[in-house]
Amino acid sequence: MAFFVGLLLFVVIVGRLDARLPWPRPRDPEVRS
Amino acid sequence: MIAGHFGLAAAVKAREPRVPLWALMLATQWLDVVFVPLYLAHVERLVPAPGTAGGYGNAVIHADYTHSLVGAVALAVLFALPALWRWGRRSALVLGAVVLSHWVLDLVVHRHDMPLLPGAPAGFPSVGLGLWRQPAAAAIAELALVLWGTYGYWRAAIATTRARGPARVATGALLVSGFVTLGLDLLGT
Repeated sequence: MAFFVGLLLFVVIVGRLDARLPWPRPRDPEVRS
Repeated sequence: MIAGHFGLAAAVKAREPRVPLWALMLATQWLDVVFVPLYLAHVERLVPAPGTAGGYGNAVIHADYTHSLVGAVALAVLFALPALWRWGRRSALVLGAVVLSHWVLDLVVHRHDMPLLPGAPAGFPSVGLGLWRQPAAAAIAELALVLWGTYGYWRAAIATTRARGPARVATGALLVSGFVTLGLDLLGT
């Protein structure tokens, strides 16, 4: 049960909350400082 | 180990912010995701360790395909291919490495039940460092991974935006999810 609850919490819920943040996208060019 | 894998995925997100977190979280559990249908089909098994009643840390896992070293490499390639098409080479490499990290972390906790070759052919050793023999130490290691990953994620998240609200919510959910998952695992559910 811990495994399935973990998948639900981390992949679905945390994943969706994370997607609200303005992270760079996978194909965005690398910015070097 | 369940929560510890997720902790590592969060730490990787902090270093590789271009890779979607949900994909990292799925990658870190990919071996166990594939294990589930094989378990239901009685191809792979999970039994209590000798002299124990099962529960956290007290299982011998006969996952001779999904948790063999060669099998894990194959599953990592299988996971990375769609990512290569969708997100490019770097993200695919990161996700493939995260899939393989599952095998490495499991190597630390498992008893000698992780074969090198699929099917665990006779004459080839199975490996595992057996931290699960000390369940408290294994649980502390998992908790440390969750806290380390969450801290790294928080640092990276607040660097992405001045509005800290969404970063707080995502980090809080990450931490709560880690505690809930580890707690359920410790309870043997």
